[in-house]
Order: sequence, then structure tokens, then C-alpha cells
Amino acid sequence: MSRTAIGNWLAAPIVAAIATICLAPLAILFLFSFFSVDFVNIVKEPTFKNYWTIASSSTYRGLIAQAFLSALVVVCITGVIGHPVAYFIAKRVKSAKSAFLVLLLVPLYTGDLVRIFAWRVLLGTEGALNTLLLWVGVIDVPIEALLFSPLATHVVLVYNFLPFMVLGLWLSYESLDDHLLEAAGDLGASGMSAFRRVTFPLTAPGLIAGGLMVFVMAVGEYLTPQLVGGASGITIISAINDLFGTAFDWPLGSAIAWTMLAILGFFFAASAVVLGRTNWARAVVGGE
Amino acid sequence: MQVPTKVALPGFIGLIYAFMYLPVLVVLIFSFNNSEVFAFPLQGFTLQWYLDVLSDARLAKGFGITMMVALPVSILSTLMGALAALALTRFATSFRRFFLVLLLIPFLIPKAILAMAQLILLSELGVERSLITVITAQTVIILPFASLIIASVLIRIDPRLEEAAADLGASRFSAFRRVTMPLMKNGMMAAFFIAFVLSTSEFVLTSFVSGREQPLSVLVASDFRFNIAPTLDALAILIVVGNLALVAIGELIRLRDKY
Repeated sequence: MSRTAIGNWLAAPIVAAIATICLAPLAILFLFSFFSVDFVNIVKEPTFKNYWTIASSSTYRGLIAQAFLSALVVVCITGVIGHPVAYFIAKRVKSAKSAFLVLLLVPLYTGDLVRIFAWRVLLGTEGALNTLLLWVGVIDVPIEALLFSPLATHVVLVYNFLPFMVLGLWLSYESLDDHLLEAAGDLGASGMSAFRRVTFPLTAPGLIAGGLMVFVMAVGEYLTPQLVGGASGITIISAINDLFGTAFDWPLGSAIAWTMLAILGFFFAASAVVLGRTNWARAVVGGE
Repeated sequence: MQVPTKVALPGFIGLIYAFMYLPVLVVLIFSFNNSEVFAFPLQGFTLQWYLDVLSDARLAKGFGITMMVALPVSILSTLMGALAALALTRFATSFRRFFLVLLLIPFLIPKAILAMAQLILLSELGVERSLITVITAQTVIILPFASLIIASVLIRIDPRLEEAAADLGASRFSAFRRVTMPLMKNGMMAAFFIAFVLSTSEFVLTSFVSGREQPLSVLVASDFRFNIAPTLDALAILIVVGNLALVAIGELIRLRDKY
């Protein structure tokens, strides 16, 4: 048997598993998005009604736009914070490099709920931060806006996803040649201009890879807004969630879900095109 | 670089790491605080909350169910991850690019959407939600992580080692068993531990596809929606400590023969 044939046989069970557990459900979700609901029965006759509902509802359009905008904000913030951190780990840390990386990842292993719980304890009106500030005498009345606000949601989202951004950027910084920065300096570039014209473009693949991971996770996030966002905590995902639960409109829920997937797919494709032009992506995929 | 950045950069990095550990630290402090509310000043030291958690029969049952899920999930995702990693790195699979994308799809789809899609499929097929559905759902979303961890180990193994074994008369299977297999063993161990941790802490998908037998993460979530009590603090710390121990074991195994 040739190597290729062995490889195909090894891959076959994985392809089968992903197809049945992941792709088949998504396919049936797609099918359902063209059905409709009559009281408690699902009418299995094709219709574009659900997609029309989404397009004509300013609530759904607003929530969808908000999900992507908010994810974009989180990507930008993690990108800005992530650059110095990734640079530091890749270029300044001589020994114990892996310790720095592992330490950054450790909070991730606490699980979604434990992390959100911790932030609730920290930010609540009667919580740790407010009572500490009151006790020390910095403030006289508790700051209520700390928890249950869009700000709280974004702080927690940045906290959740920063390690992924740093990982992506770190890979790029590791393969960045120090001599290029020295050369830029020798040629008279200031620190800022060297960053803008050398470092930033050369680490862009890491930014895109890390950014894509953060983006996907932030778009799909509903627990954090729900549990720390308060009144601002309604997201498109929680709206889909309601349609599957209490509202019992699976077809409309499916249509919104597929609208989200289609927009996400567009972002994946765009990133893949940009990443595909870089050398290391070709090295990973190999064969060309 | 100018002088100020020499101080500013490490200072900034210190702040970021403090930010990452602040919430965990606060939970740790209050898990030993002798008060029902999370407020400063602290009211003295107690182990009461830990004792409460450890003697809670409902949580103990949830913990048992979590273990019954995590063990098969980590075994399955490690074995499947090993197959996928071998196919990606060792063999010129004819559809490698497609295969890589396919492998990443479970990670790229928002979990809540995948969960609802699975719910529709299960109800259409008339399959009851049970531990089996939790195990299959978790395995497929943990598979990308397991595959990439094992692939990261395999990619460092020199392919000439296998060629040398073949030149010395080893059959392909025997070369795999005696050269590649021992070298990838550590990657598989690391993947196993990470998969275990990811499985125990997974909540979104689990809450959708679990039936009457609810794992710890789902129980904790329903508790936490209604009240925030110091017992949850103690439980969170126990979960964190357990997870960290597993991750540390996994990392030590993976790094052991890196250099």
C-alpha cells in the first residue's frame, strides 16, 4: 500500500466522525431554515419566509451587527495588548519561555463558568472591588456600572480570549528576524516607524490567525454577556437560544444561525486568502 | 530601543499577567473567608465552604458523571487525534488541505449553534439525550485540540528515522511500532490530559445535549444563576486545582524530551 493510501485510510474514520457529528447536524439545520412553524408543528415545505423575517427585522439585523462589531472590538483590543506581550515573550525572555506561555494559558483551563463566576465576585456592586475601594476610602458609594454593563462584558471577553491572540502573534514574532529591526533602525527609522513598516506587516499572519480565533469565539459567546452584561446581555446567540427553547421556532432559529455561519464563512475565506499568501501557512499545509 | 521602554515593557507585561490572575486570586481569597458575602474587609479564615462542598451528595454525583464523560472523551479524542495527526504529518494524504480545514471546523463553528444543530438532528432521529450524546459531542469539539497537540510533536520527529529503520530491514509496521510510536507517545499523553481538562470544563454543548444525568459543569451553572455563595468559590478553586494538576502533568510529559 502506498503512503498516500495509508494516509487516506487513517483520515477516513476522522472524516466520517466529523461528517456525522458536526456536518450532518449543520446540514439539517440548513434544511430547517427553509421550514416554517404552525403553532406547535413544524411545516416541512420550503419557504424563504425566515430569511425574509431576519432581513426585515431591525432587531435581528441590529443584534447580528452587534455580535460582529463587538467581536471586532474584542479582536482590536486583544491585538493591541497582545503585540507587546508576544514581543516580550518571543524576543526578551531568554530562558523559561515556555513557562511564560504556560502561565498565560493557565487561566484558560479554569473553564468558562468559573471565570465568569470569578468576575461576578470581583465586579459586583457588593463585590470585592467595590467593597475594597469603599474600605480603603477611595470611593464613598459603590460604582454600580462595574458589573452588568457592556463594559463588564468586554473586559471579560478580552480576558477570555487574550491568550489566543498572544499565541498567534507569538508564533509570528518567533519567526521574525531581529536583524530586520536593527536594519530599520540603522536606516534611520524611529521605533514607531520601524513597527509600522517592518514589525507589523511581518507579524500580520499571526495577527490574522489569532484574530480569527478570537473573532470566532467572541461571535459565538453568549454566556458572558448573559451573566455579566445585565440588560445589555441579549445577544444574537441568546436570541437563537430562545427560539429553540421557549419560543419554539426552530426554523427561524436555524435561519439566523445559518446567516451567522454564512457571515463567519466569509471572514474565514478572506483570512484564508490572506494567510495562504504567507510562507509559513504554505509550510503548514505543505506540498506546494 | 530607548531607555523608558526597558522599564515600561516589563511593567506592562506584569500588569497583564496580574490581570489574568486577578479573578482567580479573588476567588481563592474568598473561598477561605468566614462570611456569606464577598466583601472587604475579610472576616477571618475558615474551611467551612470546602467542607460543605465535599459533603454535598448532589455535587458528588455530578462529579462522578463528569468523570464518566471525561474518561471516554479523552481516550477517544486522543486516539482519533493520533490518526488525524499521522495523516496530516506523516502521510501524503491526497486531500490534505481539505482534511486540515475539516479538522478545524468543529473549533470554528460557534458551540451554541453546533449544539442546536445537534439537538435538531437528535430529535429528528428520535435519539434520547444521554451521556452517549454528551460524549460524542464533546469528542468532536476536542478533536481539533488533540490533533494539533499530537501533530506538533510528530512534526518535530525526523522522517529519516523511519527511513533508516526501513533501510535496516524493518517492515513499515514494525518501523512505526518501534520508531514513531515511542516518539509520539508523549504527545498523546499530553493530548489526553488537555482533552480531559477541556471535557470537564466544557459547558455550552454539554448543557444542550445532556439528558437527565447532569455533569458537574451543568449543576454549577444552575446554582450560579440563582445565587452566588462562598461554597461555589470553594468548588471553583477545587476545579481549578484539579485542572491545573492535570495540565501540569500533561505539560511535563510533553516537554520532558523536547530538548
